[in-house]
Amino acid sequence: MTPNSFKHNFVGPLMAVAIAVVMAVLILMALGENPYILWEAFTHTFFTSFGLGYTLFYTTPLILTGLSVALCFHAGLFNIGAEGQLYLGAAGVIATSLLFPSLPSFLAIPLGIIFAMLAGAAWGAIAGVLKAKRGSHEVIVTILLNFIGITFVNYLILYPFKNTEVQNPETWPIGNNYFLIPLSQFFAHLGVDLFKTTPVNVTLFISLLAAVVCYLFLFFTSWGYEIRAVGQNPKAAKVSGISTMNITILVFMLSGALAGLVGVNEVMGFQHKLIEGFSPQYGFTGIAVALMARNHPLGIIITAFLFGAVHNSSREIEFLSDKVTKEIALVLEAILILFIAGQYYFLSLWDRFRKRDSHV
Amino acid sequence: MFELLDSTLRLATPLIFAAMGGFFCERVGIATICLEGVLLTSAWTAATVTYYSHHCYLGLLAAVLVGAATLSIQSFLTVKAKADAIVSGVAVNLLAAGITPMLSKFLFASATNTPAIPLAERFQVVSLPLLSKIPFVGNLLFSQPLLVSFALLLPFLIDYIAYRTGWGLRLLACGDSPEALKTAGVSPAKVRYLSLALGGAIASFGGAYLSTAHASQFTREMTAGRGFIALTALIFGKWRPLPAFVACLFFGFTDALQIQLQSSPLLGNTFPIQALQIVPYLVTLFVLVGFIGGAKPPLSIGKVDFT
Repeated sequence: MTPNSFKHNFVGPLMAVAIAVVMAVLILMALGENPYILWEAFTHTFFTSFGLGYTLFYTTPLILTGLSVALCFHAGLFNIGAEGQLYLGAAGVIATSLLFPSLPSFLAIPLGIIFAMLAGAAWGAIAGVLKAKRGSHEVIVTILLNFIGITFVNYLILYPFKNTEVQNPETWPIGNNYFLIPLSQFFAHLGVDLFKTTPVNVTLFISLLAAVVCYLFLFFTSWGYEIRAVGQNPKAAKVSGISTMNITILVFMLSGALAGLVGVNEVMGFQHKLIEGFSPQYGFTGIAVALMARNHPLGIIITAFLFGAVHNSSREIEFLSDKVTKEIALVLEAILILFIAGQYYFLSLWDRFRKRDSHV
Repeated sequence: MFELLDSTLRLATPLIFAAMGGFFCERVGIATICLEGVLLTSAWTAATVTYYSHHCYLGLLAAVLVGAATLSIQSFLTVKAKADAIVSGVAVNLLAAGITPMLSKFLFASATNTPAIPLAERFQVVSLPLLSKIPFVGNLLFSQPLLVSFALLLPFLIDYIAYRTGWGLRLLACGDSPEALKTAGVSPAKVRYLSLALGGAIASFGGAYLSTAHASQFTREMTAGRGFIALTALIFGKWRPLPAFVACLFFGFTDALQIQLQSSPLLGNTFPIQALQIVPYLVTLFVLVGFIGGAKPPLSIGKVDFT
């Protein structure tokens, strides 16, 4: 822990959020829109049952991809392959349902989840093995694997898994033995009317559980210790008998498995089929989520919720406004990343500014 | 056959510009996954300025300035603010993907595209004197929109600059050993700022080509991953201009072949074009992994100990 860790853990991200809000207001004004709709979108996103339901639905995959990126970061590896891994996970669910169409739910659901994780892990493992055995740079490898993986899944969607009864590029639907319970139904059993007609489902709980497990795994197990040792000083780790090769492969498999779970949220929890290009870059947003949480698994829950809210508010803004489109989310995400990635510099600027102020 | 080669050149052109631009960034030690963003902003600018001014060269000029500015964001963040180059690259890509449709919506009330530019105001096919008279290949290579002919000559120029001039050697030294450059009294930071601005300017030719020569307007996400393919080509060419140029032509060829197969009535719907789409990435992966000779990135890439 550096002496400035509080500042960089909390002040930096909060400042980035403040700047993003100010920028959002400025952008809206520049585009000739009343900035008040930002407030409307905000209240919709957080304080309506429908809005919050969707926010949580978008939060779920972001927790998973955030964890996927963060886990690799702890081992000193940069996984920008979550985008490809999550498509493989989704294809894994479809494959399971086509292979075992008539399993009872209590078997079908775990099997679907396991296959999604296995498919993601297998895709992650390729990057891990190439990094460990051949020393190939993992960033470039995962960029390439993203394209190969997504194109491969597109092939599955358009040929072997194609629903031949419809024109759209989508697979056959999964059987309802594979459906996950939407949270609205869960709350209805308790007599509470919440999240009605929103797709948020039990995958949210799975992702929260995954965050807690990642936290315990990283900080309270020997494997977690080894991962962090490799990340902080690979040479020292090697000397002390840790196999950096095995750790690299292990971490990439775990990261892939986490990203693969995004497919569970999308296919088993919501669409009940796989549609070409379903992910609005969850994998890349996961980088921002992990970065902002400084790779802390529990922090990722909060930052994923924030980015889920940005995503959902921008849809609301597009709905409310005839001048602004939902792409404002991308701009705001970029601003958040810019300021957090460069926060040491921006915070030092701020310090200099304050010092000059106090001299006067 | 002529049609296939012609289409190869036209599809390779934006890749060549982007890869050559990427050369100037990667070789000074800054990982550049934001070529995609540069292509987007420059394509949008070219289409918009050409639409208003009715001159495609004004559009090109504006695109070059905007492209240089886009990569200057990247150099500012990595050199000055010491951000990780991959992370800031992701941010620049997101910014470009977000801001272009928003501005289209603002100016033209449509987020999906800018208005179509009449044919007469776009880049025209020009037959270069002498060069286009070369037997067999002259017509193919040099009776093209000027940008295509330029793209075919550019890699040779860059190869010369990089390996035969003092400025080029500084650029290479900056990527492989910034400390040595500093010892020689040259600021690596300055080389990086200049080099990225220049790289952005060069890549922007590709963006302008996409929206004002290849197509007649800017459409949302029109770059469709070409920035990444260009980066892939650069890696495939082991970070050298001429091999990267060949890689761009090869990737352009697979793209052209795929389009032709898609429209051919024989194979139409039965041949999975995805098999061709993954070829560039697959062969690059093999090269990178070292099955075909191995590819080593510039030594200082990914290290944040600049200035």
